[in-house]
This record gives sequence, C-alpha cells and structure tokens, in this order.
Amino acid sequence: SSKSPLEQLLSSLHDDQDHCDLFRQWLESSTVSTELGKRGFHRELTTTVELRPNVLHDISVLLLYRWPNGVYVDPYQLASLSAHNDWQILLDSSIDLEVPAHKTLGFLSYVYLSNAGSTSSLLKATIPVHGRYHEPSLAGETFTTVHIKPPDMLLRTGKCLDRLESYAVVDAPCTVSNSSMCPWVKINRQQEEGIIIFQVPVGDGSVVMPVCVGTLLVTIVCCVALSKYMLKYQII
Amino acid sequence: MEMGRLLSKLTEKHVLLFTTSFLIRLVLVAYGDYQDRNMVVKFTDIDYHVFTDAARFITQGESPYNRSTYRYTPLLAWLLTSNIYLTLVFGKMLFILCDALSGVLIYKILCMQGLDCKSASKISSLWLLNPLPMGVSSRGNAESILSALVLGTLLCMEAKHLACAAVLYGLSVHMKIYPVTYALPIALALRAPEGRREEGRQKQTWKKWVTFIGSFLNYELILFVSVAGAVFFTLKGLFYYMYGWQFLHETYFYHLTRRDIRHNFSPYFYMLYLTADSRGSQWLGLAAFLPQLILLLVASWAFHRHLAFACFLNTAIFVSFNKVCTSQYFLWYLCLLPLVIPHLSLSGKRGSGLLLLWFAGQGIWLAPAYFLEFEDYNTFFLIWMAGLLFLVINCFILVQIISHYRHTPPAQRLKTE
Repeated sequence: SSKSPLEQLLSSLHDDQDHCDLFRQWLESSTVSTELGKRGFHRELTTTVELRPNVLHDISVLLLYRWPNGVYVDPYQLASLSAHNDWQILLDSSIDLEVPAHKTLGFLSYVYLSNAGSTSSLLKATIPVHGRYHEPSLAGETFTTVHIKPPDMLLRTGKCLDRLESYAVVDAPCTVSNSSMCPWVKINRQQEEGIIIFQVPVGDGSVVMPVCVGTLLVTIVCCVALSKYMLKYQII
Repeated sequence: MEMGRLLSKLTEKHVLLFTTSFLIRLVLVAYGDYQDRNMVVKFTDIDYHVFTDAARFITQGESPYNRSTYRYTPLLAWLLTSNIYLTLVFGKMLFILCDALSGVLIYKILCMQGLDCKSASKISSLWLLNPLPMGVSSRGNAESILSALVLGTLLCMEAKHLACAAVLYGLSVHMKIYPVTYALPIALALRAPEGRREEGRQKQTWKKWVTFIGSFLNYELILFVSVAGAVFFTLKGLFYYMYGWQFLHETYFYHLTRRDIRHNFSPYFYMLYLTADSRGSQWLGLAAFLPQLILLLVASWAFHRHLAFACFLNTAIFVSFNKVCTSQYFLWYLCLLPLVIPHLSLSGKRGSGLLLLWFAGQGIWLAPAYFLEFEDYNTFFLIWMAGLLFLVINCFILVQIISHYRHTPPAQRLKTE
C-alpha cells in the first residue's frame, strides 16, 4: 500500500529512532577483549569484539591501538596477510623495523573490522606483533616488560549523534583509504583493565666489562695467531 | 654403487654438469613459485620482495629508496624492472643464471691454472651441485651476481685481460663494498716484477722503500686503476645525480656505520649491543676494526702471488672479523673456495672433518638464537659465547687451509704425487 509523504516521513523517523536505540544498546553492552599468543620476540595480538545485541545492521567498527615504543608491526607482513583477512589496518606513521625501543616512539594503528560476511556476533583481528630490542638492563634483569593497552573500540553509524553525552566522540579516518575524517563514538571502558604484558629478553648491562674484555681478548688472540701462520707460510 | 657411478659421470663431463645444474635451479624456482602460492611458509626470500618493490618505484618514475630496507645499488633495481614489465620470476632467472655462470667461471679458471678437465669439472661441481648456492639464488637473493663478477675478475686477471678485469672489478665494488679488500692483492700482483736481488750488498732502507713504491707505478697497475676507477665513479656519479644523497647513504654509509645491534654471527655482537649508547662505543668500534684491518694487510702481502687464494683469505677474514655477520656473507668466500681446493694437501677425511666443524659452529650458535627469538629464553650470554667459538673455529679452519696450501701448480703436483 502506498503511503502519503507525511506517513513516509513519520515511518522513516521511527526507523531512525529504532536504529539509534540499537546504536545506544551497542555502545553500552558491546565488549572487546585481547589476548597475546605465541612466544619469543614474535607474537600475535588477538582482539575479539562482541556486539550486543547480536543484530546485523549498518554499523562500522574501528579498533584504535596505541602501541608502545617497545613493539612494532611489519607493514609488509601485514600487506601480505591482508589478502586472507577480513580486517584492514592503517598505520599513522612509517615504521623503522630495526631501531631499538628507546630510540623511537610509539605509534597508532586503526583496524577496520568488517562484519559483512560473518554470521556470528564475534569479530576477530589477529595482528602479528614483534618486540624491539631494548636497552640492556643495568640491574642484571633478564627480561623487560612492555605494556600493551587494549584498543579503544569506536563505532559509527549513518546518523545518531544526539543524546550521546556520556560517550566521547573521536575523529578518525572514515575508511582504511584515509581520504576523510569522520566522528566516531568511543565505547567506555575501565582504564586499567585488560593491559597485556609482553616480556622481552634484554641484555645484561652489568657484565659489560667482562664481555668487552673477553671479546677483545679472543679476537686479538685469533688475529695474532692467524697473522703468525700467514707470515710463516707466505709465498714470496 | 649405481648412484656413485652416475654422480661421477655427471661431475666429470663439464657440459652435462653445467646443463644439469642449471636445470636443477630452474626446477627449484618453479617449486618456489608453487610453494609461495599454496603454503603459508613462503619459499621466496623477503629480499626478493624488497628488490621487486624498489623496481616498481622505478617504473613509476620514483626513487627505489622509497622502499624501506632497500640498501643496494639502484643498478639492481633497474635490472629487475623486468620483474614488473615481463614476469615476476625474471629476477630469479637472472640470479640462477649468474649462479650457474659462477660455476662455469670456476671451471675455466681451474683449467687456465693447469688442472685437467676431469678434475676441474669435479671441483666446479662442488659449487654447481651444492644446495646452498642453489637455494640462495632460487629464493631470490642477489649474491650470485657478485660471485659471478668476482670470479669474472679473477678469470680476466688469470688471462691477463686487464681492462676486462678492471671493468668487472669496478662493477663489483659498486654493487657491494667487500671486494674493495681485493684492491691490495691485485695492486701487489700487478706491480713491476722485482729486479734481480743484489747479492751480498745491503741496500739502504730508504732505497728499498723507494724501489718498493716505485714498483707500483707501472703501466699495468695504472691501467687497472684508471679503468676500474672510471667505471666505479661514473656509476656513482650517475646514480648520485639521479637519486641524490639517499643513494650514497643507503648503498655505502649505512653499511660502514651500521649499528644494527640484533643478534648475528659476529663475535662483536654482544659487546656492541651492551655498549651501544655508552661514550666509549666509538673507540670500541675502532678496536673491533683493527684486527680485521691488520689481518687483511698481512693476508694481502703474504699471498698476493696467488691472487685467488689471497682473495679467498681476504674475504674469509673480512666476514669472520666483521661487526655484523649473517649467513648470506658466507657465500662471498665459498664461491672462491673451489679455486683453492686443488692446491690443498688435506686428506679427504680431514677436509670433511673441517667442513663438519664449520657446520657444527653454526649449529651451536643457531640453537640459543632460536630459543631467544622464538621461545622466550634469555640466551644472550650463550649466543655471545657461541659467537666467540665460531670465530675460533673459523680461524682454526683458515690456519689448516694456510698450512696445507701448496703453491706448486696443481698439474705438476698431480704428476709427482
């Protein structure tokens, strides 16, 4: 049955209100959890997002990671993985893969999750993360700790920016192509919960003297021995 | 028994050997392509992707140095632009071709030194049928271009084609820094031959020095230096004009001032890591450079009459005493080892024992390195000790090689044995 223009306007306003109610429900009940897998310098950070209520609708999910200077991600590795993933990542700066931790700063990454193909309410992103070399420990400790904060979850939908006073609004790129900025709504979360501990082996600064002396001793002895033999068997 | 006879037939007939070794490499490249497409662990080395990305930047009219970690000459990226225009495996085909060519050059040099065809063929099979260079070039590393250039230089020197040798030498120094260590043995070898020694009369020291320095000023050496210098500086000037300061930095200065403190085979690794930010680190860097320099000077002087041996020793010393050492560097001296082998009076048992010792030294280093990188153990101290042990093993092997090197031509020696 055809509706009059006024009826159409009223029904679309009603849809919008339903949609915005749903959006507010997502903001209140959705959760994000993180987990660090694998061992050694090369790890994987798995972030799981659960949208509650589980209703498929027009919504964009963005995870904003604030990485410390003790870790890095390899943009070329990420590019080769992107073919198999349903998420895409955008980095805010170029990454030096070789510099030690204390000579560099942290960085941001935006991970755009897509819920287009999935039927479950869980969205997952597994990011390979690598530990940087750290300054040697002067106190003789064997490991240093890198704290990785769980990401901020940002949601965006077409309209509905009113009556959201208790939520922070953040400007971030609309899509991974970084062509424009949009307002996103940040989900509230306790600050200290869910921090990931990443232990990285570190050199022992307290043995620097024996190491230097030992290294130079062995190399000089080898140098002298080799020179002696070369001069003994020289071909003139 | 059958396998043994088949193998010896293969290694004795040089044309069959060359063709077979190239075909094996071709098969490896094809397999690598298959593995890349279908498995998670990739066959192709990350370096190959770096080269291809840099070549892509060139096709877009930009500098290859836009690709981070591209630290080679632009010449390589220019060569590999066919990766973009023709096929992605063009680079690999070029590398395996240079690899097989290196084997052919080894054969030719041995023949020129007087070795008979059968033995020369057998020895060059040590390179042509060796899985290490096969694997490295089919995975997309560019080391084989260098080994072909270095062996080409030695072949031309052996054949007394100095201009040719100089061109190849200039090209090889342009591509990587380490062939610069061959400059001194080549210069000493090209000097004017010494006049008859004056018996009984003690020449004055300053006269000796004057004659020594004067011997460097002869036609052949000047020709070599001019041609090699012209090639090197022309290429350098051309690429500096095209890509500016970044070219100089990435190709040369980065390698000279490299302060990559991550674990590697070098005996200096831990010392440099622990002292990276301290005030004395410049002096330590110098202290680490001195043994390398001294040994290079001594080796060049002691063996310049046998150029291939001098170059082999120089490279082995350079790699073993360097501040950074990765397994790729081993190929730099392994390609020269077949030229040395006919002169060695080591028994087969002893030779295989030394080879096993060399591999054991690497294994002893690789074990704690694996646990550090992939298993959450702090094995820095063990890696340091293993690095020192590897240096001692390398020096022991070099001493064995030096003390068993016979400088009579191999053909003559074979007759007398």
